[in-house]
Amino acid sequence: MASISAKRLAKELKEIQTEGCPVGVNLLRADDFQTWLFSIEVMGESLYKGEVQTLQFRFDSNYPISSPAVQFLVRENEGIRAPIHPHVYSNGHICASILGTEWSPVLSVVAVCVTLQSMLASCKKKERPVDNDRYVLHAPENPKKTQFHYDDDTV
Amino acid sequence: MKVTVKRWHAVAQWRWDTQTSNDPQDNDDDDDDEGNVCGICRIPYEGCCPACKMPGDDCPLIWGECTHVFHLHCLLKWLNTPDSKQQCPMDRRTWQTAERKVPVINRA
Repeated sequence: MASISAKRLAKELKEIQTEGCPVGVNLLRADDFQTWLFSIEVMGESLYKGEVQTLQFRFDSNYPISSPAVQFLVRENEGIRAPIHPHVYSNGHICASILGTEWSPVLSVVAVCVTLQSMLASCKKKERPVDNDRYVLHAPENPKKTQFHYDDDTV
Repeated sequence: MKVTVKRWHAVAQWRWDTQTSNDPQDNDDDDDDEGNVCGICRIPYEGCCPACKMPGDDCPLIWGECTHVFHLHCLLKWLNTPDSKQQCPMDRRTWQTAERKVPVINRA
């Protein structure tokens, strides 16, 4: 029997294919129900004007009950880096409550894309998190294994 | 003209009484509208949750005091996780199952 994640993701994919993504968000790859890639671009005036980020979603078979593992894709050798943002670590991990303790199964892949797009859009100063180097040194491969502290309510 | 019915074939339809608008006048063409699907699995209320095979009484709905409705099995899967903090997925209020009042059918 297909897992609950496969059924739900098939619905989300169909919706993306028929209705399209929000402006600035594009589906790059969804060959299976394990890993999807999106490009994210902040439209209009922002500190990230002209930058296109790649967002990676990884799903376990319990999605949407369990949150997806979401991060910016980093491929140093291909020049793909995470955006410089106070909540984005240089390894691509993102400190955003909806990806952790505030996840809800009524959220969707597109809803997460839009939230992260607006997180970038509202950024006032391009900088890495203060604990970036320390975090990246010991970070788990999967950002879901990190207990982030959410100390900024503005995103 | 005299008509004799030799055989007849009854057809019935059912749906959960979710108190959402089921009025065809009121509903534009989208039957798969957010109002008629479980927010967790996105399958219509009249379908069954992804774990079940047959819709109906074996895969019922659950109503919250907050008025949000889900497939019972979908909501329980969520509430059984520590991440849910026992909150409604829609409004993050503490989940309280609503007593369902069976509407009295006027037999007059």
